[in-house]
Amino acid sequence: MTELSILASYGLLVIVTLLLQATGSMQQLGIGYLLSSRDDSHTITGMTARLNRALDNSVVAMALFAPAILLLVVTDSTTVQTLLLAKAFLIARAVYLPAYAFGIIGLRSLAWTVGFVSTALLYFLAL
Amino acid sequence: MQHELTALTLAALLQAVQFALMAVPANLELGPGKTMSPRDRPRLGGELIDLVSLRTARLFRAFNNHFEALILFTIACLVVHLGDQSSAFTALCAYGYLGARVLYIPAYAFGWTPWRSVFWGVGFAATCAMLVAALI
Repeated sequence: MTELSILASYGLLVIVTLLLQATGSMQQLGIGYLLSSRDDSHTITGMTARLNRALDNSVVAMALFAPAILLLVVTDSTTVQTLLLAKAFLIARAVYLPAYAFGIIGLRSLAWTVGFVSTALLYFLAL
Repeated sequence: MQHELTALTLAALLQAVQFALMAVPANLELGPGKTMSPRDRPRLGGELIDLVSLRTARLFRAFNNHFEALILFTIACLVVHLGDQSSAFTALCAYGYLGARVLYIPAYAFGWTPWRSVFWGVGFAATCAMLVAALI
């Protein structure tokens, strides 16, 4: 696995998160509301609401992770360490999703932190 | 320039257009006094999006939705380009994404049901296909 294929895999993980969240929303709000212009706001609850928060968080993480990887690849500065950190990020974010969905306290925050620290270290290595 | 990169540049410019489509009516409706303020909820009486007209609120939501889609599309385009996986298929996906996201805006603003969801789905599927194409 290269840094680029890890980035593509993370993109697919975000897409899976979105699909899970959309499936839950469809059950809670109905397909009619989702297809409408959604002019009145509705609230979702339970696991679907958690998946929605996980999705928002994953998009922010993606916006930070993608430039780090692209910088490293474009400047040809990928190393064993950067590959390891990218893998750590992907695994942490793959753990983050079920940890949030099932409300596993501690694990979700731990996974978030591993992903965040990995991203920060990737920027240091890019410099 | 490679097709995927052209489409990516145009998609980013589309986001600038979407910003204007949302910000111009919002400023006309609320006045710069509200939009230039720190937008504290108690003083405004809610979020900005709740104070504007129906159509402006839709353009607001369309703008926010494209941020998320654009981050994924950026990754897809750059991974395909840097991984030398560019093909006629990925170029078609990239332009398909761009076309769908352009149509998404009037579909949202004018409430074309279910076409807004269809255009969103086309853009989403195109991005997915590019990411999968980059991996295989």
